Amino acid sequence: MAVRSGPHEMSEKGHHNAHESSSVGVGLVSSLMKSWRISSSSSSSPKAASDPELSTSRRSSQSNNDNNHRTGAISLMNDQKFADSDGNFDAIAKQKTSTIRTPSASYSPMRYMSPSNTNNVTNESPRTSLLRHNNHHSSTHTLTHTISNTTTGNGREPSSSRHHDRYFKDLDEDWSAVIDDYNMPIPTILNGGVDSPYALSRKSTTSSINTTSVRSTSFNYPQLPHIQKVDSSDLRSEEELDAERNVQELNSMIQRIAKFDDILKNKHIINQQQLREISWNGVPKIHRPVVWKLLIGYLPANTKRQALFLQRKRKEYRDGLDHTFSNQHSRDIPTWHQIEIDIPRTNPQIPLYQFKSVQASLQKILYLWAIRHPTSGYVQGINDLVTPFYQTFLTEYLDPSQVDEVEKLDPETYMTKEQILDIEADTFWCLTKLLEQITDNYIHGQPGILKQVKNLSQLVKRIDIDLYNHFQKEHVEFIQFAFRWMNCLLMREFEMGTVIRMWDTYLSETSQEITSSTNSTTPTDPSMPPLTPKEQSSATFVTPTNDSFRSPSSATITNNMNTSSDNSTRIRQSSLNEFHVFVCAAFLIKWSDQLMVMDFQGIITFLQNPPTKDWTETDIEMLLGEAYIWQSLYKDATSHWL
Amino acid sequence: MNSAVTSIKLVLLGEAAVGKSSIVLRFVSNDFSENKEPTIGAAFLTQRVNINDNTVKFEIWDTAGQERFASLAPMYYRNAQAALIVYDVTKPQSFIKARHWIKELHEQANKDMIIALVGNKVDVLENNEDERKVAREEGEKLAEEEGLLFFETSAKTGLNVTETFVAIGEKIPLKTAGDQETDSNGVAISDEQRIDLANSGNAAGQTAGCSC
Repeated sequence: MAVRSGPHEMSEKGHHNAHESSSVGVGLVSSLMKSWRISSSSSSSPKAASDPELSTSRRSSQSNNDNNHRTGAISLMNDQKFADSDGNFDAIAKQKTSTIRTPSASYSPMRYMSPSNTNNVTNESPRTSLLRHNNHHSSTHTLTHTISNTTTGNGREPSSSRHHDRYFKDLDEDWSAVIDDYNMPIPTILNGGVDSPYALSRKSTTSSINTTSVRSTSFNYPQLPHIQKVDSSDLRSEEELDAERNVQELNSMIQRIAKFDDILKNKHIINQQQLREISWNGVPKIHRPVVWKLLIGYLPANTKRQALFLQRKRKEYRDGLDHTFSNQHSRDIPTWHQIEIDIPRTNPQIPLYQFKSVQASLQKILYLWAIRHPTSGYVQGINDLVTPFYQTFLTEYLDPSQVDEVEKLDPETYMTKEQILDIEADTFWCLTKLLEQITDNYIHGQPGILKQVKNLSQLVKRIDIDLYNHFQKEHVEFIQFAFRWMNCLLMREFEMGTVIRMWDTYLSETSQEITSSTNSTTPTDPSMPPLTPKEQSSATFVTPTNDSFRSPSSATITNNMNTSSDNSTRIRQSSLNEFHVFVCAAFLIKWSDQLMVMDFQGIITFLQNPPTKDWTETDIEMLLGEAYIWQSLYKDATSHWL
Repeated sequence: MNSAVTSIKLVLLGEAAVGKSSIVLRFVSNDFSENKEPTIGAAFLTQRVNINDNTVKFEIWDTAGQERFASLAPMYYRNAQAALIVYDVTKPQSFIKARHWIKELHEQANKDMIIALVGNKVDVLENNEDERKVAREEGEKLAEEEGLLFFETSAKTGLNVTETFVAIGEKIPLKTAGDQETDSNGVAISDEQRIDLANSGNAAGQTAGCSC
């Protein structure tokens, strides 16, 4: 199997052939890029599965397999899926491949490892070694290598080591700078980087023996090769790459849609984990309304029950309205008034939110939610959080050709009164589900937000100590800028389109109910709310160990491994809030260079109006990918800060 | 240029949607927008003005008005030298809230703090005086009792906005060694602000006590 033999061969080649042209590498890079964003066919590699030794690391072997086939052929990209066949795994696999290969280039999350131990690499968890180098620099290095390896993810071509070197040098001193200049053109790579530690960490749980052996040697590798930098883009013309990219993009979009179709259509029970994993990397517009409702735990996975369920919940909402606005119920005037004044100033730049019908709908939704959740009540910012749901669900009622016009059209012109009530109900319930996950953010004293802000500062202290010190020197307090980030889930920092893409990932990150672990086999009663209020209120920030299984890719593993249900209980508590802190960290560190030369006023002003107007989905995806990396590197550590 | 720049740390307080952010926007950018998103947490802005041949730099923390965010306010007013307490002349409730803020500042904030009571949105009254729910005399009386400056403003038209800030600037002793002052102020602020979230929690408790 390539996985196992690869490292040996490469440990030779990687060092000596680094100057070879990397045209193959370029092709791979772009294909990797694509694959990060788009997942496709669901075929799994029989080869990989057949190797017993690798059964625990099936994904990695598969991806390696793919890499071998690929060698620059972009068209093959789409074949490289795992059984779970989701974009995320995809990326993991890729990352893993590169990680496996890393010994050859001597850069890797385990760069201190002796080359003689390369066989163990596949089984090592970067986290284990990370835990040992807790200081800023070593972790930075680690991350650096992870990223660079990924970019050049070519199973066989030693040319990758050249890139490694380049990126290593750059990244060594200043991680964030390089993230920008290097990753920007090839955003997808990051995801691969993200996933590596992940996949590995997963594996470490299943093969503890190997992990242990790696640990003992993980600091031995003395030095890194010095190889000249070469810009890979020299090797192929821009147009070529662009054209290739476009074709790929189109192809993969089609395949991605097909993939969602495959998961959603003609299924009795929708595989929630599969959906979660693939959705992490973005949901096609046409699927988004349904997928979001599934991800948030509103719509039951059992498709046969969906229609009835929706009918019931929509009626429940109407009954709630009737009751709330009946004479028997005395209006909570301050709350009503507060919502009333906030509605016209919600997304004031988007025409949709100036239509009377929309404002009336949102007013009802928010008011009903507020009086039903008296411990929290309406808090400014919730008015922001309701809008992505509302806007997304509207698109379901629009002609596909008009979906992009949703921000300009008055729903009353294309929906009946009944439909508008239905969409209000769906929005209401999804908002309820979302807020269940972050209740602590809005109760008295907003402890959830304060904790997140504190965690952010601790995280930045570890990731970017220079920036942290600079803030201290300038007397910048994290709460001065990050409070809003937490309170509005960064919605104020981005344009709506970007936010919606971000929410694909965020909703995939929402803690999955206990039911998720049994989902594939025993569908639970879909009408059961996944989180009872009681459970919810006890939600805290992190449970580190279990948490390592939490994110999209690993969740499946957890399930597949029949992890106990109380494990999932703990997993589910904090996932969205926790991930959000990592996104905030990635977001902040992205501007590190600029911020380092600013004074107090400059910093605060900048962070209040970050230059994100032109951000595209690709930018946000890269941010999410970076957050993912940080999370996989630091999630265990976070528990010790608190 | 100006050898001495006096920095004045100023905080805006007041009920939600009375126009705090709009007043600042008018003062800083001479601009107005009808529907400004609610402020979350607080926003920081600065503006320089010349007062009696001296340059004064206002460093403004524009706080969020909603009650739920009130626990953050102490962090922003604790070291401020000046405060605008804003209410909406068409909303009596906002005037009650203004009284609460005055009380809280007197109890919690710097004793030398210059406070201005500001009744905003007088533009609404231009065509319809019936809209007025807080008499000018009421505001004046309160300000007098409490030793505050008093202005009725319109962020929309710009009426009295700059005047309010200038009046505050005139009441604050100007520093000669501007830079030094700025520094020491900066340090002072941050020492306070470096407070931990635990302290904020306490402050929250206090705030809640006051406003109940």
